[in-house]
Amino acid sequence: MPKSQFIDPGKMLAPGFIKFQDIPVNQYNKTLDEELKIYGKDTLMRIYRDMATIREFETMINLIKTQNAYNGVEYSYPGPAHLSYGQEASAVGMAYALDMDDFTFGTHRSHGEIIAKGLSSIQKLDDKELYAIMKDFLGGNTLKVVEGKEEIKGDVKDLAIDFLLYGALAEVFGRETGFSKGLGGSMHAFFLPFGIYPNNAIVGGGVPAATGAALYKRVNRKPGIVVANFGDGATGRGPVLESFNFAAMDQIKQLWPTTEKDGFDGGLPILFNVFDNFYGMGGQTHGETMGWDMLARIGAGVNPAQMHAERVNGFNPLALIDAIQRKKELLLKGEGPVLLDTVTYRYNGHSPSDSSTYRTEEEIEAWKAVDSIDTYKKKLIDGGVATEAEFDEIYEVISRRMTKICKLATDDTLSPRIDLDKNPDTIASIMLSNEKIDKMEEGREPDVLMPMEENSRVKKIAGKMRYQFDEKGNKYPALKTYDIRDGLFEAIMDKFYTDPTLVAYGEDNRDWGGAYAVYRGMTEALPYHRFFNAPISESAIIGSAVGYAMCGGRAVVEIMYADFLACCGDELFNQLAKWQSMSAGLLKMPVVVRVSVGSKYGAQHSQDWTALCAHIPGLKVVFPSTPYDCKGLMTSALNGTDPVIFFESQRVYGYGEQFHKEGVPAESYEIPFGEPDVKREGKDVTILTIGAVLYRALDAAKTLSEKYGIEAEVIDSRSIVPFNYDKVIESVKKTGKIIVVGDACERNSVMKDMAANINEFAFDYLDAPAVALGSRNWITPAYELEKYFFPQATTIIDAIHEKLMPIAGYTPTYNLTDLEREDRSKKGV
Amino acid sequence: MASLVIMPRQGQSVESCIISEWKVKVGDTVAEGDVLFTYETDKSSFEEKAKEAGTVLAIFRADGDDVPCLDPVCVIGASGEDYSSLVPAEGGAEAKPEAEVKAEAPKAEAAPTAATPAASADGKIRISPRARHLAERTDADLSKAVPTGPNGRIIERDVNALLDKGLTIAAAAAAEEKAPAAAAPAAAAPVAENEYEDVKIPNIRKVIAKSMHDSLSNMAQLTLNSSFDADAIQKLRASLKANAEKLGLANITLNDMVCYAVAKTIGGHKDLNAHWLDETQTIRYFRHCNLGIAVDTPRGLLVVTVPNADTLSLNEFAVQSKALISEAQSGSISPDKLKGATFTVTNLGSMGIESFTPVINPPQTGILGVDTITRRVKEVDGKDVFYNAMGLSLTFDHRAIDGAPAAKFLKELSNNLEHFDLLLAK
Repeated sequence: MPKSQFIDPGKMLAPGFIKFQDIPVNQYNKTLDEELKIYGKDTLMRIYRDMATIREFETMINLIKTQNAYNGVEYSYPGPAHLSYGQEASAVGMAYALDMDDFTFGTHRSHGEIIAKGLSSIQKLDDKELYAIMKDFLGGNTLKVVEGKEEIKGDVKDLAIDFLLYGALAEVFGRETGFSKGLGGSMHAFFLPFGIYPNNAIVGGGVPAATGAALYKRVNRKPGIVVANFGDGATGRGPVLESFNFAAMDQIKQLWPTTEKDGFDGGLPILFNVFDNFYGMGGQTHGETMGWDMLARIGAGVNPAQMHAERVNGFNPLALIDAIQRKKELLLKGEGPVLLDTVTYRYNGHSPSDSSTYRTEEEIEAWKAVDSIDTYKKKLIDGGVATEAEFDEIYEVISRRMTKICKLATDDTLSPRIDLDKNPDTIASIMLSNEKIDKMEEGREPDVLMPMEENSRVKKIAGKMRYQFDEKGNKYPALKTYDIRDGLFEAIMDKFYTDPTLVAYGEDNRDWGGAYAVYRGMTEALPYHRFFNAPISESAIIGSAVGYAMCGGRAVVEIMYADFLACCGDELFNQLAKWQSMSAGLLKMPVVVRVSVGSKYGAQHSQDWTALCAHIPGLKVVFPSTPYDCKGLMTSALNGTDPVIFFESQRVYGYGEQFHKEGVPAESYEIPFGEPDVKREGKDVTILTIGAVLYRALDAAKTLSEKYGIEAEVIDSRSIVPFNYDKVIESVKKTGKIIVVGDACERNSVMKDMAANINEFAFDYLDAPAVALGSRNWITPAYELEKYFFPQATTIIDAIHEKLMPIAGYTPTYNLTDLEREDRSKKGV
Repeated sequence: MASLVIMPRQGQSVESCIISEWKVKVGDTVAEGDVLFTYETDKSSFEEKAKEAGTVLAIFRADGDDVPCLDPVCVIGASGEDYSSLVPAEGGAEAKPEAEVKAEAPKAEAAPTAATPAASADGKIRISPRARHLAERTDADLSKAVPTGPNGRIIERDVNALLDKGLTIAAAAAAEEKAPAAAAPAAAAPVAENEYEDVKIPNIRKVIAKSMHDSLSNMAQLTLNSSFDADAIQKLRASLKANAEKLGLANITLNDMVCYAVAKTIGGHKDLNAHWLDETQTIRYFRHCNLGIAVDTPRGLLVVTVPNADTLSLNEFAVQSKALISEAQSGSISPDKLKGATFTVTNLGSMGIESFTPVINPPQTGILGVDTITRRVKEVDGKDVFYNAMGLSLTFDHRAIDGAPAAKFLKELSNNLEHFDLLLAK
């Protein structure tokens, strides 16, 4: 909502037409002579070698899958194999023009792209650099297996080809010497030093990440482009369409600053390259499941530049090289994003179990008749560039090499798996990185618009009371009180002025200052490219942050209501949570997802979904609810390298600090993850709270003390994952009774999980089973009825009375008895 | 308000009791202190008296029923009063506990203030782990606990309440000892109409059967027989009897003297004053002798235990054993006094038995049978001399002790008995 842009009704309501430009379709028409002049024979032959290498690799895996043997090497591989037999020219054409600075992202069907980009990089790197990369990778463990076994002894590039094929195949076969120690597998292989970024087993899953990588390059002015490779079927997915728009949003060209001195500015340097093979699994995109007729048409709907969309013949590697070179030029000029519709075809099924019931043998044969490799070879032989024998010689080397690689990668001694008997914590140790990195990039000043102390919000906060009560115990007026918003603001602002890579975005972040005013005042301090309004595209918001972090940046992204987490499930749960571990710890994921939990706004704006996030391995989850805890945990989250889902409650944004008597420190400090905090001491019963229910628990404790002489100990969990039970168990040893309370619907909640753990950890000390108390398993009703839904002080005392220790003279309001709850369970509520 | 009468718990180890006989029927008016029914544990019998006056409104269990302790057995209240809420649920554990049903009502009663001890439909005490640990540490008498936790569960504060009132198991045992002896149940034999009658095996018989069978099937038992010259103890006994009144002595029997000698002798033979513990594969040697004395009672064999018998004087021993035997015979003995013996003496001498093979009471390792006195001849200085020989039959567990050491014990015991005056002097 920038005020600088005027929405003029005169223009908006004026008559006219939207004009489209023609979208080129297979317009490449260079002759062999021209091509020979451009590439020279060696390069043309190398292009053949690269295509044939990919085909042989896929053939090998197919034979292993279907016949348990390849060239005499016997092996059984039960894992996935989505082969790109037929699509080799597309992969090689895509990778040929890319440099080391250019990143590729792929899909479940990306063996070919990895090999193509790897071979392209090997060609471009000098021997010294190339050898250093191999030597450094995983402490040289991968190189060790292949070194000394190369075709041409002492030839670093030849060794590197063995290294590339072996690292990829060992990864496919789940070996510790693979590119991700076998933890990624066939569908998630990648190799960062060659610019090969993660491939993705979720259709379209890598596209938002690639967009984030382009964002990283644009924001941090890094050279190179990003190629998001994906299939035509993925254009049916929302996150892909969100990514198109995210990359094309007007502000990048119109509002973000441009600097001349660095290589580029303007649009995001991303090429959406679709390997358009006409099938998404078996669903035929052309004529059946999609409506665009030709995929390139989508570009016309995204922006006035029509994404510079073009359809290109992906069966001709030289046509594709030509297209990629032209598109890369556009991107480097700041004209992105670009959409390329690379027509290709896979001969094999989606996977070995696919018998191609959805297409005819005739169709497959027709495509094989124009097979890219055969056609290319024939063209060069017919044109007198090379002889059949020269091609045969190349193929023989490939076949020999592949047999050797296959033998090495299936050898349990040379290529062991992670030994979970010997080192049972290996996987546990890479689920979270737990590092502390103050700034993700050293030696660069953060882009800011003013010194921090001149910022209006910073000045305003300076005059606020950092503890809520005066000496007499009276509350300061709200406007004079330092609140949770201020705590979050300070932590994030500090990091903006420390870490040059930090970006923050989400819906209504800039100008508005975030829907709950946490970011108020930031707009004047931070340039657009570091702090911006994202489109209402939760998938693109989270997914791009994933890619941004993969490249080495740090991001704070916001989901305005916890309910909207459902809009970005894949990005949170399959991408953000998993890439650190799927990369065997090679990738870091310093992303903080701020999630606001609502109330008063009914069924789709009031849900606490901590349990969803806590269920997924690989995420840290916190839910602080005091200014001191919010600032300290946000600082920890921003200093860390792990993805943190940072829950905030809309009930308490305006709350001052009631517990930390010294007041919230103005300087930066950390609160460690996983440490609960005793907010009130007591000896009779323990109340463990998740989130803002803390204040209702304290109300309950007050009533218990004043009316019934029961002293409750109130512990604020603050963190959910990780969580240290020591303090809780200590409290239970004292009180013997505990109730875990939160605002989430009770079934399968964090409260249930914690109560179950406490029952196990402290059974002998318990005077009653630990009780979990959450909201009813209903929709959230209207605000006026919320007391029947969310736990209140009364509900908490009821639960204590009915489940832990009947209180003499107390009459419960709600029925929380076992009988009632069993009945509810029967009814599914 | 109608109140529930439950089957009391007699001692920690008792899980159920059998109702011997109802002394009242539904509709009867009872005064406080009237006997409602008699009941027996596996080892003793008791009377349950009305704690308040009223009308017997309902009886849930019949004569001969084996009732889990703390289960309801009858209701006493005002005639015509509605007692439906006190009727125990059918099917025990599956039934919804009482408290929950009540909580259905919007204005449920306030915190339970039940005055009666814990009882649940399945007869098990419901108690939190924390409260159980506290009770174990403090010896609190859970049978007296008034549960105030959810679903009738005893919680920590209920155990603390017991401790505040001094209600420990030790206190309960002391109180029981003072209680008047229950009348021995006169088991009215049903009139036999046929050639035989089927009588349900009484609990006490079941216990004896199991114990004896386990003993013989699990141990390697064998018996050594010998005898000793009883002239000395007979003489001493006559003298003690004659002077009993003057010296304020109890009626000291020959059996007391044998027992006394056993208690004094066994200290040097620790393998016989021991428990063989199969479960832990250990032998537990005792520092003192808790001497078991087999007593023939109208209800069957009971073994009373004289604790630390080796530390008692002959007279003290006689006093204690007599009291125990009397309690056992009357059926009022606390089950706790029938436990813990480290060695047992059984006497069939009065029945004229000359030798027998007593059966060891596991996990003890030995038992001494005392036989009758026979007149025998022995050669003294070339002459035949008549003397009174008393037989001793020592059964021992060959797993724990070998034949020679067992024989040595028997020999030393005989020697001590023949020179009882010297033993007394020790």
